[in-house]
Formats: sequence, C-alpha cells, structure tokens
Amino acid sequence: MTDDRDAMIDRIARTLRPLPPVDDSAKARVLVAVAAERERAREEVRRGRRGGRPRWIAGAGVAAAVMVGAFLLREPRATGVAAPLAVTSAPASAQLAGHDAASDADDVRESVQLVFRAPTASSVRVVGDFNEWDKERAPMTRDAASGLWSVTLSLRPGRHVYAFVVDDTLWTRDPRATAAPDADFGRPGSVLLVGRP
Amino acid sequence: MTGPHRLRLLSSSDPVAPTSPAEPSTSATRSVLVHAARGGDVRAFAALVDAYYARCLRFALHMLSSRSDAEEAVQDTFVRVYRALPKYEEREAFEPWLFRILANRCRSAGARERRHAELVEYGDVPERQSASGHDDAIAWREEIGNALAALPDEQREAFLMRHVEDLSYEDMSAATGAGVSALKMRVKRACDALRVRLTEVDRD
Repeated sequence: MTDDRDAMIDRIARTLRPLPPVDDSAKARVLVAVAAERERAREEVRRGRRGGRPRWIAGAGVAAAVMVGAFLLREPRATGVAAPLAVTSAPASAQLAGHDAASDADDVRESVQLVFRAPTASSVRVVGDFNEWDKERAPMTRDAASGLWSVTLSLRPGRHVYAFVVDDTLWTRDPRATAAPDADFGRPGSVLLVGRP
Repeated sequence: MTGPHRLRLLSSSDPVAPTSPAEPSTSATRSVLVHAARGGDVRAFAALVDAYYARCLRFALHMLSSRSDAEEAVQDTFVRVYRALPKYEEREAFEPWLFRILANRCRSAGARERRHAELVEYGDVPERQSASGHDDAIAWREEIGNALAALPDEQREAFLMRHVEDLSYEDMSAATGAGVSALKMRVKRACDALRVRLTEVDRD
C-alpha cells in the first residue's frame, strides 16, 4: 500500500501543519500543574513514611496550604547575576509576569513567580522584606482549576525572607524553602535566594 | 525589553544543575533533556514542555473541537508524562511515547465531547461550525476542519500522525498500539474520504 499522497493530500497537510500560536501562560499553567503533581507525589511519600494522614496546616478555613514550586523569569540584561538554571525561552514572560521590565531600566531585578496551593482559601498574599511585610502589596491570584495561587514579584538579587498570609489571618512560611531564623515580627518565614547574592 | 526572556523553574529543594541545557532543537539535545527529566531535573522537563507544547497543541486542536479542550488535553498529557517518566524506557523513542499519551488523552476528551454534543441545545453552536470567513483560505481551512471532524477518530488520528506530525508508520505503531498494515489502511481511508469531500468543495 502506498502512502496515498497526491496534490490534494499535500495541500491539506500544508494547511494543517503550521503550528498554532501558543500562549505562554498556557505553558506556565502546564508547569504549575506538573509542580502540583510533584508535590502530590512527595506528599504521598511523606504520608507513607509517617503511616498516617498528612498533617495539614490548619486555620482560617484552609484545608491545605502547600508550596508547590516557583518559576523564576529572568531578564538577561541582569548580567551581574549568573543564570545557571535558565533553560527555556519565554518570549512573553513579561505577560506571564505581569511586570513591565522597562520600568526597571536602571535596576537589576528578577521576576520571581511564587506558587502556593490553598484550594479553599479566599485570599493569599505574600509578605516579605521586599515589601515591608505589607500584605496589601502582593496579593496572589487564584487559578480556579488547580486551586493554586500565584504572584510574580520583581526582586533584587540577594537573600529575601518571606511568608504567605492566608485569608488575612494565617501566617505561614513556605514549607518547601529553608526556614528563616530571622523572620520579621517574630513570625515564621522562609528564605528566597534570587540570583547569586 | 532588551532581549529574549529566559524561564527557569525554581524550587528551593531541587538540586542545581551544573550547566544549562541548550535550546532543545535537535533530537540529540532532546534525548539529553529526556534523560535529565527522567532523573528528576525539573528544568529539563520545563525545556521539554517548551519544545513540544506547540506540536502537541496542534495535534489536540485537530483532534478536538475547542481550544480550551485542546489546551486541557495537552496540559494533562504533560502531567501524565511527568508521572510516567520513571517508567519510561529510554530505548523507546520519546516522541511516539509522548504522542501515545496525547492521543489517549484526546480520545478520552473526544468521547466526552460527543456526549456533550448530544446535549447541545438549540441555539448553542459548536465552535468548529461557528467560525465564518469570507476569505478563500479561511473557508478552505474550515472545510478541512469539517472534513477532519467527520472522519472516525482512528482515521483522523492516523492521518494527522502521518501527514501532519510526520511520524513514521513504525512510530505510529508505537504510539497507537496498532499494526503498521492497519495504520496504512486507516491513513488510506482517511485520505480517500478527505479527497472526495474536499474535491467537491474545490469544484463549488
């Protein structure tokens, strides 16, 4: 049997072959979903080790609050900062980041997207030394399908301490990051290293 | 904006790779990425998503009616790929393996779509039929879309894998589990049906 090609089939194939436009936020959603899957698998392992149900962070109607990953979008002009992890192009990263890179023309900054899982929360905010621990300045946005909250911050390279505030009342550190011994206000916090300090 | 952005997947608990993978444009590079991703390197996995997302979306868009369904199918495919990577045998080609998962996911979504279509009430117009165009090229694409949609799933899938994704029949066999002879028959029947339908359109 031949491959059955002729001018008509070639014409159909040519029409169908162009790749569709891809929304970079769709790719980002894939990575968030994969990060959630990774966290779910790790939680299963932890649960297996403990031989019981996971001990969720409780409070203010939050059933689960688990940091699942962070995406870091890097401006290549930040030449003073090494980029050992950069692997894929993200031409529309500014759109993903919701951040106008041009506004930081005189400042070396990196866009860091934090993702936090809290399916039943009404609000999640990021507080840290980069926003004077003001919970009004970095509200996270919820993805309805996955229950993941995300926000993109424009941060200077270096060491930062941060935490999540869930439903305005529950202050929790990022359980996946190193605990900060010097968290402000005496509350729990995590360490975020941006670039190479 | 001064140049292309770089995306990296950061997790505080993940080991830092000593070097960054290059742009995954060659099959050799992709093999390296697959190997690294299989070993747990999330940055390599992100690069694979970047490399294959558009192709997967193209296939899903041609298999399903709506973009949202197609994007959901592709997202779910990559989650399943991530979950199944530890069991992936590297002697097996990655692309057919990826397309096997994607095709399965599209078949499931297609079955749901058909059930939903039976419930579409008067006044609801499926997306595929709602587009209108005065331009010949748009009209031609619409006709191809309608002709593809009229094919049985197996024939549409085989046609797309062979003539759009350029998979070999051996890779298609690995992706679908069907024999090469059966796949050639599916492609032939798909071509025959498309040819008849679209030749008629051409005459109009």
